[in-house]
Amino acid sequence: MTAAATAATDSYSFLGEEFLTWLWFRLETRGGDFDLGEGRAVGVSFDDYLQLAPGDGDGTFQTLRDGKPSRSAEAAAGLRNGRRVQEAKLIVAMGELQWSLILDATTMTLRSIKLPDDDPEASGPEDKNRDRAANFVLLHEIVEGVYHEFLRVRLEEGYLEGEAEAQATWMTSR
Amino acid sequence: MFRRSGSTVAYYVDGKLPNPHDDAFGAKLADQRFRSIETAASEETSIGWVTSGDPTGDTFELEDMDIDAGIWLRIRFDKKALPTVWLKIHRAVAERSAGRPLSARERKELKEDLSEKLLPRTLPTVQFVDVLYLPKQQRILLFGTSKRIREEFEKLFFKTFAVSVVAATPYTLAQHSGLGREALAYLDQVSPVPWPREGGVADRQMLADEDDGLEGDHEEEFDAEPSEPAPGATVTDARASETAATPEEASRPDEDADLEAIEIDLPEPTEHDA
Repeated sequence: MTAAATAATDSYSFLGEEFLTWLWFRLETRGGDFDLGEGRAVGVSFDDYLQLAPGDGDGTFQTLRDGKPSRSAEAAAGLRNGRRVQEAKLIVAMGELQWSLILDATTMTLRSIKLPDDDPEASGPEDKNRDRAANFVLLHEIVEGVYHEFLRVRLEEGYLEGEAEAQATWMTSR
Repeated sequence: MFRRSGSTVAYYVDGKLPNPHDDAFGAKLADQRFRSIETAASEETSIGWVTSGDPTGDTFELEDMDIDAGIWLRIRFDKKALPTVWLKIHRAVAERSAGRPLSARERKELKEDLSEKLLPRTLPTVQFVDVLYLPKQQRILLFGTSKRIREEFEKLFFKTFAVSVVAATPYTLAQHSGLGREALAYLDQVSPVPWPREGGVADRQMLADEDDGLEGDHEEEFDAEPSEPAPGATVTDARASETAATPEEASRPDEDADLEAIEIDLPEPTEHDA
């Protein structure tokens, strides 16, 4: 990758932050259910860790832990001040499976992932290895699927006058 | 056993790798396999491929690597270093018997002498990092997120296969997410949304004003200048803060600037795996 390409890629960290902020808006206004196609219906919710970044990229960060940070007055104040979600602990569920993870939106890195419980029918280490590896892959596909849903909205014509306007109202009125 | 928790970075493979079921795949791994530094007499680091079934790097059996979802590889990082506590002990002994602090040259000689004696008896520290290669998707999950691990993985992968990997980021994920041509073209022009701040009825108006200027052309949004705030509005948005809304505000100290000058050293987020 050239230096220019790397710089261009790095500069899109804002898109990841907009994704997590949109996800919060989406969850509160339309719920956290997503149909990702191919029979994949997933649920997403925010858990007990949030990091908000200043809107202009030059200010203090706000870290909220434990309890329900997304329902806290501090988080609401952050949104009202144009802050964006930079990191969040998410719970992701699909059928019987449930994952938790921290999504670093600036790099789309998945941290502190906890996989679903092992399949009780897995008969030995090899079965468990297959199951766990498949669940890591599936989690990435789900996160990327939800990100794709965001991109469809974010990159469509009329985004600013539609979804962004609704999100702005939500951010300033929480 | 494959881990049940951890942190991952996704990569795209930017080229063609040998089929993991072919001997060529194992042969390339073997060329860059881990090599032991257990008996080395100098401070050094060794980095190379191993498998979960053979942590020495001597063999690369497909049955140790193929776990249906992908090919499970491991990078082994060994590092041998002179234990600093032993260096301090020996220096204290030498200074006590000399009755004075050691000179720089004497300290260097002491370190060389100790390295020769101690390093062959010192075991390296060992770290394993899992790598899951997904041939069908041409993707890789690296189970380590530190800068050092990522850089070493990228170097080792290129040395092994002469193929680069590109980290998944908000941008590269968007490029690979199957968006239409129009959306992809817009991706290269998209800029951050200037979200309104508290008291920002006018700021929301600003957002709308920006949109008004679009007239359905994404390119215009990219080039659009922020609109003027409504008269009398309290404007705190970064892109509009240069414009004082009222004479009173123009003469007031910039409270936002003062607030933002205070740097808070935040602790690293704790692992939530406990």
